[in-house]
Formats: sequence, C-alpha cells, structure tokens
Amino acid sequence: MRRLIHFVREAVANIRLNRTTTVIAVATTAFTLACFGVFLLLYLNLRAVATSLQSDLKVVVYVKDVTPPSGVSDLQALLKADPGVQALVSVSKEQALADFRAQFPDESHLLQGLGENPLPASFIITLAPSYRSPDAVRHWAERLKSAPGVEQVQYSRDWIDNLNTIVGYLELAAVGIGTVLSAASVTIIASTIRLTLYARRDEIEIMRLIGATGGFIKIPYLIEGAMLGAMGSAVSLAMLRGGFELFNARLGMPGRFLGIDSGVHFFSGQVAAMILVAGLLLGFIGSVVSVLDLGRAKS
Amino acid sequence: MIQIFHVTKHYDRRPALTDVNLQIEKGEFVLLMGPSGAGKTTLLKLLYCATSLDEGQILIQGRNVARLKASAVPYIRRTMGVVFQDFKLLPKKSVYENVALPLLVQGLSAFETRRKVMEALKAVGVEHRKESRPTMLSAGEQQRVCIARSIVNSPIILLADEPTGNMDAQLAREIVELFKTINARGTTVLVATHNRQVIEQVGRRVVTLDQGKVVSDEGKGL
Repeated sequence: MRRLIHFVREAVANIRLNRTTTVIAVATTAFTLACFGVFLLLYLNLRAVATSLQSDLKVVVYVKDVTPPSGVSDLQALLKADPGVQALVSVSKEQALADFRAQFPDESHLLQGLGENPLPASFIITLAPSYRSPDAVRHWAERLKSAPGVEQVQYSRDWIDNLNTIVGYLELAAVGIGTVLSAASVTIIASTIRLTLYARRDEIEIMRLIGATGGFIKIPYLIEGAMLGAMGSAVSLAMLRGGFELFNARLGMPGRFLGIDSGVHFFSGQVAAMILVAGLLLGFIGSVVSVLDLGRAKS
Repeated sequence: MIQIFHVTKHYDRRPALTDVNLQIEKGEFVLLMGPSGAGKTTLLKLLYCATSLDEGQILIQGRNVARLKASAVPYIRRTMGVVFQDFKLLPKKSVYENVALPLLVQGLSAFETRRKVMEALKAVGVEHRKESRPTMLSAGEQQRVCIARSIVNSPIILLADEPTGNMDAQLAREIVELFKTINARGTTVLVATHNRQVIEQVGRRVVTLDQGKVVSDEGKGL
C-alpha cells in the first residue's frame, strides 16, 4: 500500500513538474481522440438510424383481383402461420381506394374514369427481426411470390441497403482512422514520458544505485502515461459533447424536417466509459514503449 | 567478504584496472589510496555493479557479481551502502525522504522506516535538518545525509568514494570518525581517498593503486 501511494505520488509529481509537456500531451491526445470520436459518433448514429429503419421495414403483398374471398382468407392464414411474419395488416380494395383518396385528394379524379376500383387488396407485413437482412427479405419475398393468390410482393429495401453499405464503409473508416490516431496518441504520450525520463535521468540513476528494481522505477511512469491518456480522453469527451450540443442546436430545424432530430444521440455512458478506458490504455501503452529502454541497461 | 581475482577493466581501450587481486575480510576497514586516475572509483563501481569488468572475477559474500543477472543487481546493491563523491541526493526531496529511499525500495513499513531513518540521521548528526532540501545544506551536511542514506538499511559493506574531498580538515576528521563508528558495529568499510590525513586518522589497512595496478597493500589484519 505504501509503495502504491509512492508510485501514484511520483506520477502526480511528474505531471506537475512537467506542466508544459503534460498540457501538450493531453491536448494532442484529446484532439486525436476527438477526431476519432467524431467518426464514432457519426457511425453509431447512422447505425442506429439504419437499425431503426430496418425495424420499420414493411413488405406489401398484393392480392390478385380474381382471387375469391375464400382465397384471400387462405392467403391471410398462410401469412399468419409464416415464421417470418411478425405483424400483418389486411387492406381491402375499398380500404385501398379510401386511403388513396385521403392521401392524394387532388389526384382522386384519375380513378373516376376507370369506373371499377382498380386498386388491389393487400397485406402489409412487418417482418420478424431475423428476416430483415437484405438476403433474408429477398429470399422470403421470392418464396411468397409463388403462393396462390399473390399478384406481387413489394418492399423498399434498396435505399436501406445503401444506408447499410454507407454504415459499413464508415465502420471501416472508423477502424482505419482509429488505428492511425491511436498510434499517434501512443507516440505522443511515449514522447512525453521520454522527456520526463530524460529530465529525471539523474534521479533514476540514483534510484538504481540504491537498489531500486526496474519495476519500482518504471511503475510511476506507467501510471503517469495512463493518467495522461485518461485526461486526454476526458478532455476529448468534453470537446465532443460541446461540439455535439452546438451541432444539435444548429441542426434543430433542418433536423426536425428530416425527421432525425430525435434519432441523434451522444455516446451512452457505457461508450463514454469505454473511450476513457481506451485513452488510459493508449497512455499506458505509450509509457510502456518509452520505459522499455530503461530495462535494457544492467546498471 | 570481498574477493577480487585478476580484474581488468578498460575504458575505450585505455586500461583503468589491470590484473587487480584483493581480498577483504568481514569487518575490515580498508583505505584505497592512489592519485586521480589510479582506478579507485572504477574498483568501487565494479563492486556496486555500476560498471562491468572485462576480465577476472569479483565475489561478494561468495556471489560472482560479474555473472549476476540484471534482475539480481538491485538485490546485491541493497546489501551495501554507497557514499558518492558527488553525494547523489535527490534535490526535490527532503533530507528525511532521501534517507528513507533505500527502505522504501525494500518495502519497509512506515513505522520501521521512521525509526531507522531517525536513527541514521542522529548517528550522523543532521536530524535537525530532516525537513530541509539537500540544496539548502552545506557540503558537509550533504555528505552526512549521504552517509545516513548509505547506513540506513544496515548494510554489510559500506563503500565510500572520496568522502572527504573538498572538505576542511575538521570536517574530514568528523566524517572519518563516523566511518570508524560504523565499522565498529561490524560493517566492512572500503574508502577510496587520496587524503593522507585520513590514512593517519584511521590507521588501518591501506591498499595503494597506481595506473590501475595494486602497488602496495599495507597493514593487512589491523
């Protein structure tokens, strides 16, 4: 316990002693982590939007006009029994016409010349979660097309697929940028620790000569690196929060217009904690890199 | 206690020690004499593993220090106290913290550390300066703090490199008296010096080095 207090006290003393380098290291780490954080925010929010859209995915099954009422009932029973169907809404020909008139009051005259109601009856289906992937939807729709009484199966999958593709690319970009920026953070913290080691080389030499082990000498520097990393990630989270609030305030009107105002969220507590831990680990790795040299000398 | 066999050490092909042989018994007080550049500091450095030898063997309590693993070096250093010519005190720590450092490294309890540190500070007469920073002390006081640090963990061997260098005669006498007291408690003491006054005051075994070779070994067994 006494040693642990000594290690932490030494780490804090190092940070205080080298204020300028500490500020530079924390600021640079914060900026690099913030850059990564922006990508992460974008990625997480787009993924949430994509997931939400996927859950809203509706498949419309149009019934052939010639199908007798008993055939429509059979088709409804078939769909209800299908494991891919989570919910089902039946729309009769009359209901379809009423909906059309309600939605397009100016164009309702288009149907008047046709005499008979040309709109087909349909079933609006919400698929079960395991049937919502692009392949599963396609496969399910193909299978249903051959069912008796089915005229057409329609779903608007394409643009959701496109969004998923964008999210996939963002994921790749986040990983790539995250790796590069993590390496930058490690290098920055390693350089800071190296500067500290250089500034305190005489002290380290004295510690060795009085019988301190490598571990005893290195641990305060490892703690210092972890502290710098954690401070950098805390500052980056604060920067991101500020930027996010500003963005939200500016996006207010257009966001509501696009219907995404309630869909954009900041990091959850769990993700924020993970970012803090990631900063701490990066700092720790940076200091491990710089104290490796200390272990090489025998004396 | 200390056995040195055919030790040779070079710095950039220039010989610092050549075929040095020496045996020091437990509890002995040995003065290492010789002019500057004779190899005194190099010999001490070899003993506390601050440098490596080129040829020969050094046994300390039967352990060959030349073959020690890097991880074992700190533990052999803990069995000895070293008084450095330039004191090597940590300027940002208090006198108390400086003296307590070898005990902290060994993981002693706070209570035991306090007891031992105060004992060591009293032994060298600087207990009243325990809160001061080394930079606020005179050279003589700094030397005493350095000695306190070297004896605080009750070492079996005490090595001192020019401990009276740049000190007036009175102060030098006091420092030598301190070493004699430490030696009287059973610690083997090896002091490198070129101060004739120290030799007269100690009156014990004197090993003289010149150009890296042992040229005389007088008063063995005294």
